[in-house]
Amino acid sequence: MATVHYDGATRWYQGTERPAVDSLDLRIDDGEFLVLIGPSGCGKSTSLRMLAGLEDVDAGRVRIGETDVTALPPKQRDIAMVFQNYALYPHMNVADNMGFALKIAGRSKDEIRQRVRDAAQLLDLEDYLDRKPKALSGGQRQRVAMGRAIVRQPQVFCMDEPLSNLDAKLRVSTRTQIAALQRRLGTTTVYVTHDQVEAMTMGDRVALLDEGVVQQCGTPRELYERPANVFVAGFIGSPAMNLRQGRLTEHGADIGGMTVPVSRQARATAASDGDGAVTVGFRPEAIDLVGEDEGVAATVTLVEELGSDAYCYTTFRERESAPGEVDVVARIDPRKPPAKGETVHLRVRPDETHVFSTATGARIPG
Amino acid sequence: MTVPAAMMRKVLLTACAWLVALVVLAPYVQMLLTALKPHEELFASPPGYLPESWQFGNFLEVWRVAPIWEYLRNTVLIAGLSTVLAVAVALPAAYYTARRRFRGRRMFLLLVLVTQMFAPTALVIGIHREMLALGLIDTYAALILVNAAFNLAFSTWILHAYFSSIPVELEEAAWLDGCGTLQALLRVTLPLAVPGVVTAVIFTFITAWNEFVVALTLTSTPETQPLTVGITAFIGQYEVQWQYLFAASLIAIVPVVALFAYIERFLVSGLTAGSVK
Ligand SMILES: Nc1ncnc2c1ncn2[C@@H]1O[C@H](COP(=O)(O)OP(=O)(O)O)[C@@H](O)[C@H]1O
Ligand SMILES: [Mg+2]
Repeated sequence: MATVHYDGATRWYQGTERPAVDSLDLRIDDGEFLVLIGPSGCGKSTSLRMLAGLEDVDAGRVRIGETDVTALPPKQRDIAMVFQNYALYPHMNVADNMGFALKIAGRSKDEIRQRVRDAAQLLDLEDYLDRKPKALSGGQRQRVAMGRAIVRQPQVFCMDEPLSNLDAKLRVSTRTQIAALQRRLGTTTVYVTHDQVEAMTMGDRVALLDEGVVQQCGTPRELYERPANVFVAGFIGSPAMNLRQGRLTEHGADIGGMTVPVSRQARATAASDGDGAVTVGFRPEAIDLVGEDEGVAATVTLVEELGSDAYCYTTFRERESAPGEVDVVARIDPRKPPAKGETVHLRVRPDETHVFSTATGARIPG
Repeated sequence: MTVPAAMMRKVLLTACAWLVALVVLAPYVQMLLTALKPHEELFASPPGYLPESWQFGNFLEVWRVAPIWEYLRNTVLIAGLSTVLAVAVALPAAYYTARRRFRGRRMFLLLVLVTQMFAPTALVIGIHREMLALGLIDTYAALILVNAAFNLAFSTWILHAYFSSIPVELEEAAWLDGCGTLQALLRVTLPLAVPGVVTAVIFTFITAWNEFVVALTLTSTPETQPLTVGITAFIGQYEVQWQYLFAASLIAIVPVVALFAYIERFLVSGLTAGSVK
């Protein structure tokens, strides 16, 4: 068990114009489940591989517990990794795959057999110990990859998109299994994914990366409720938050004729250090459908029914000089969805708007 | 496809296979039949297909009339050691070029390929001078070095292709499981490259076993001459002792066929199946 500490860790591949990971500062507590998330190519895998010792650290340091591992080879780091493609040893059966690290470490045959059997029991793999990986289903292979990691009882688990090769249904059940297993073992875990549902449901904390830079690191709730900048606001949440540029007015912010309530404090901060141009965000669930004489009238372009929820994609014409259109997504009562082409009236609830500086993208507190 | 059509197809395919086999094997049958004829029958006119008197003794006699044992020993040593040398040198080269991106990597691989384009015959004079300068004329070392060198390119390429096809994550997993670079190579990568190694071994061994031109140029005594050169002794100035020539040739084939029959089982494909999704 150990903490993990990235201290300005940087990786710059030769011949690329910017670092793949740029001075990463992260502290992961003992036993914590940290999720690294971000769009493809943002540097998630590179960050994880720096911790595992599979990638050079060009600047900064990586520490596990009290040990500076920056220059240590992988085998001295006591880390187990679950690869996206599992990387099972194809010439060994399941038991040998899981016991390989113990064998290399010179443990006794009895101890290896016992620990492999315990892990197999935990993962429901007892019936497959004699099989080669090619005789297993995708889900079973994934569990063997997990088993190979937990048999070792390492200081840290590293997982790089371990669920992305499973079908949707299996992914959901395995997701909860991995989270439960990690809580039970209490092993510090760094988990890479591009799936925000995985990030939100599994992580104690989530670090969102973009272009090699951490945009925000916090609990899933913090990222959802108080996104630090426009990128986080747009990335977390599905359907995405409505983000529109607007102008500050006396009552709030005006986006093409729709007035969105903005707290007085945010208005004051934005007005004092800017030109009044802000980006306003509000989630689909922050919108109410109201009566005809209230809110703003918009035309329904699409209704997306998901069973428990329904989302209404609407558009309205800008009232003023610029004759563009504004699209807004609203969550609606799935029991009485409006029809396509119908006109609805939208109003954004107060206290549920986010204001960002258009110039820097940073959140304006309020 | 209807059942009769499927049957028809199967019969036709089998017939074709037999026909091809027949064409390939015919020279060997001819060799065998000739090897079993007495000397007088060889030049009979018209020639008969089957021997009139079967001389099975030719196969024993041939060991006495020429030092076949020595030739065979030389061939085995030369082919065996040049195979070991070629594969031992090709393995690290192939591994490094498959795993590392370095300046000149493509160039190196192309250069290796280019060396394959020279026929040994074209190089034989140069090789002879080189070995003369090194004082290696009429030694095993000369033939082992030359045979290994000629087969290095093929071995390097086939092993390069094999190492490239083994996912690098397997080695990374082994490193994290506590292996050093060499240990990961020995325990994970090499076992998966076995079909490539076997292919390189078979190819090199057979080519070295059959090599003639260079051996003819570099050796002059039965102590070092391989079988390919040795049996030319049966080609005299005035007559050719075909029965012994063919008997010795057939003897030379046996060890190679035996080796192939044994080693072929390791040529299984799809060894890496199931490792990565
Ligand atoms: N070996 C490499 N050489 C050069 N660039 C690389 C290499 N590996 C990754 N990159 C680049 O570094 C960036 C981050 O990659 P990666 O960490 O794999 O992203 P992801 O977040 O999708 O896992 C990407 O832009 C990628 O193209
Ligand atoms: Mg990745």
